[in-house]
Amino acid sequence: MRLLLRVLAPLFGLLLAVVGLALLVETVTAWIAPASSPLVVPWPAWRTAVEGLTWQSGSVRATAIAVGVIGLFVLVLGLVARRHDVFLADPVPEVTVTTSPRSLARAVGHEVRSHDDVVSASVVASSSKITVKAATLDPAEGVREAVRERVAEMLVRLPLARRPRVSVSVTTTKGVK
Amino acid sequence: MSRRSRKAVARSAGGDRTLTTILGLVLVAASVLVLLVGYGVFGANRAQRPVIDPIAVLWVVTHASATRWIAIGVGVLLFVIGLWWTLRSLRPEPRPDVSLSELPGERLTVEHAAICDAVRHDAETINGVSRARVRLVGNPEKPALRIALTLVEGTDVRDVWAELDGRVLARAREAFAVSALPTAVRLELDASSAPTPARVE
Repeated sequence: MRLLLRVLAPLFGLLLAVVGLALLVETVTAWIAPASSPLVVPWPAWRTAVEGLTWQSGSVRATAIAVGVIGLFVLVLGLVARRHDVFLADPVPEVTVTTSPRSLARAVGHEVRSHDDVVSASVVASSSKITVKAATLDPAEGVREAVRERVAEMLVRLPLARRPRVSVSVTTTKGVK
Repeated sequence: MSRRSRKAVARSAGGDRTLTTILGLVLVAASVLVLLVGYGVFGANRAQRPVIDPIAVLWVVTHASATRWIAIGVGVLLFVIGLWWTLRSLRPEPRPDVSLSELPGERLTVEHAAICDAVRHDAETINGVSRARVRLVGNPEKPALRIALTLVEGTDVRDVWAELDGRVLARAREAFAVSALPTAVRLELDASSAPTPARVE
């Protein structure tokens, strides 16, 4: 979403500028030289198209809904395009340390996979929650505890500013050990 | 947590986000208003009136000059806001040179690239760091460091911190002759399982 905002924000700005410029140019033209009035934007044609429509007309409603949907997308884009940095405790004042959720998930994943009984694992991490899904050939319950312990131990070594909740689920898969 | 070091973590998208949110709100509000009028919330009579309302047209005709100036004002405003927004979000993040002395006759500035190369070389000698990227952000009077460190697997973060603050940043502070240098460190954990390659001088 952040990348999309980065791409779309200048375009929105450009769009506003173009609309403003068109309004300015058309108004001044209609004022000073009415003979050459619709200079760029064919607004008299738009006017005749809109003439006769009431607020109840289907096309007015459809346009309003389309504008609303676009507006909602723009609004959501502005609201969700935040950073998802995971903050570590400050080692010294004036120094801020962060890492990415992906990097944290990778580190947790290495730790989980280093357990002998885990055959595969997937990890999703954010600054508030770490979700581990692991598969094993052994009874799941014992491995679950071991994995949980391993992750907790790792989080002690990694001084995160805020300790995330850890959820571990382990499934037993069939296979030859 | 220091505000300035926190600000150096990444380029802010706050302006873009605020403007985008406002634009979205305006569009949604316009759409909702038109729909409400159409569904007769403001009176069934109003819903049946034409979109180009004769009353409004009459007002425009009798106040032609005022309408013109309003339209011109809105046009100029939109144009200026739009252009400012576009330029603002297209402008690259500045890489400030650092001025060590502003005294006339002995003005001394250090180039951005020189500082960053020096800090990067220092940072890459830290045990467990396989790669470092360094840049300065902020303005020449109040620069801040942004360092991205790639750590090899199994590195203890606390050791890296100690060495970073005790050696690398201490040297940078000494060079700038400042007591505190706001720094944002971005760690890339466990990026590769290979050990740090032997350094060839």
